[in-house]
Amino acid sequence: MSPRALLRLGLRGLLLHKLRSTLSILGVVFGVAAVVAMSSVGEGARREALEQLGALGMDSVTLRARRPVPAGSYGALRLRDADSLAQVVPHVVATAPVREADLTAEAGGRRADAVAVGTTPDYVQAARLAIADGRFLAPLDLRDQKRVAVLGASVASALFPFGPACGERILLGGDWFEVVGVLQGRASARGRATAIRTRDVNRAVFVPLPALDRGSDPRRDGVDEIVLRVDDPRHVTSAAEVAKSMVERSSPGAAFDVVVPREILRARERTQRIFNVVTGAIAAISLLVGGIGIMNIMLASVAERTREVGIRRALGATQRDVAAQFLTESSLLTAAGGVLGGLLGMAGAGLIQRLAGWPTALSPVMLFLALLTALAVGVGFGSYPAWLAARLAPMDALRHE
Amino acid sequence: MAPLVELRSVGKSFPRGTVEVTALREVSLSIEAGDSMAVMGPSGSGKSTLLAILGCLDRPTRGEYLLDGREVSSLGDTELSALRNRRIGFVFQSFHLIPQLTVAENVETPLLYGGVPEREWPGRVHACLEKVGLDHRSSHRPSELSGGEAQRAAIARALVTEPQILLADEPTGNLDTATGEEVADVLWGLHREGRTVVVVTHNESLAGSAQRLVRLRDGRVE
Repeated sequence: MSPRALLRLGLRGLLLHKLRSTLSILGVVFGVAAVVAMSSVGEGARREALEQLGALGMDSVTLRARRPVPAGSYGALRLRDADSLAQVVPHVVATAPVREADLTAEAGGRRADAVAVGTTPDYVQAARLAIADGRFLAPLDLRDQKRVAVLGASVASALFPFGPACGERILLGGDWFEVVGVLQGRASARGRATAIRTRDVNRAVFVPLPALDRGSDPRRDGVDEIVLRVDDPRHVTSAAEVAKSMVERSSPGAAFDVVVPREILRARERTQRIFNVVTGAIAAISLLVGGIGIMNIMLASVAERTREVGIRRALGATQRDVAAQFLTESSLLTAAGGVLGGLLGMAGAGLIQRLAGWPTALSPVMLFLALLTALAVGVGFGSYPAWLAARLAPMDALRHE
Repeated sequence: MAPLVELRSVGKSFPRGTVEVTALREVSLSIEAGDSMAVMGPSGSGKSTLLAILGCLDRPTRGEYLLDGREVSSLGDTELSALRNRRIGFVFQSFHLIPQLTVAENVETPLLYGGVPEREWPGRVHACLEKVGLDHRSSHRPSELSGGEAQRAAIARALVTEPQILLADEPTGNLDTATGEEVADVLWGLHREGRTVVVVTHNESLAGSAQRLVRLRDGRVE
């Protein structure tokens, strides 16, 4: 029989009992929907983590002073730590100390909340920043304590919506700065608070480290962060260890964290694997239940249509033809269940994203796998009923009441 | 020339529980192409079993069955199915039309299994329905047909693959006398056109129109 003829035959068989066919696939529908929705949530979380960590860079190590400073602790990292780290830590290609302050930037009557970041020219390399216009901070800016600023993309567009920002002046924390460069916009994670704090470079204003006045900060030598970049992601763990022990030795009692995106990502991946196993188990159970439903309905169908089987056999249908007919029906059922479940799962994922605010992402591979599994359930659980139908003796089947 | 059908000492037994039931003891007969034959006998005489064996719906447990000179009792399922499809047309007492299909779809079903290209179907279906005078009912469902119409549709279905033998099992059994005669006329008309027709029946007048009459009793030809 041609596949087209088979398909037509299968559809006819299913349309014979529309309600029954619809009800019988509900198990598969909900199973596939649950899996698709859950894996979308998982995939969304994974992509979000990747994006955040990717912004930091897989080859970066960040030493970050804890804030607020714990009582009895020396507190912050120091500028000279950055210098010694640059010289001692193996495989380091760029080191930049960072000092931060939340300030308001103003220009031409417009205001924007910004994070003022005092740093050194190396930061552009250490944090993989891309310049859209102008230039980043230069060594001379630092030496001469120039009041120059490089704007993050959203600060630039908020303050200078109609023209280029370079060459203009902005008021930052009471001091005037000349804009010398604008950064390219960078996708950043919004919304959900996560364990990994990343700097939103779009909202940052970069100024030379000595130019960032933190008013009453008594520790002139203190910095909030030291960012290192190594030449290869594989060296990141050893670099982090060396950096940590160095700072601990030079400033005993310093309260700081070492953030290694690569390691966070690995930890994330371990969690993700557990999540995947749980999702997989739910998928297996729900598809098993769905498959049993299909088998049940197909057994009923074979029993009900025994006479039809006998007639078709008398007219020349082989055992294979009969088996193919019933297998087509069960596969069509579960394939339809898979498609409906996929749609429902996508809708569910959308709803989760809207109501709970979790990012979701649909992985096409996952969707394809879900459909394929649904089809396999149809073939798998349909084969016993199909086999029963095929091995009916033609004469007995014909006499069946 | 070899006869179209030749049975040599054919027997059939079924295991039923622990005992073996013999439906057909020993039947030898031959049917020439173009013959018409009626098989009569009381219930349990083995008529239906004989028809099932002749129609390749069942295999004999003993003896030989040569169809068109070829031994068929040892053939596998696929070959037997092909024989049923191409060489044999069945007409049953209770019509055995598939209820969810229209008359035309019922008639084209054997073409589906015979691998006939779909573009040939409408023409062949139409020709067969016309022959039995039912082409105006082709899009009706079996439930909308009278008994006589249903049986004529079944005959059209039996003819659509141009089989050599027409096997009818009590074709008038579910019909009143007048419609029964109508259906009998169609069957014997087909015989006059040159087809081999074998009818199993209790109906003396139907059997009377056949060239040969075979009476079965207790699984043997009387």
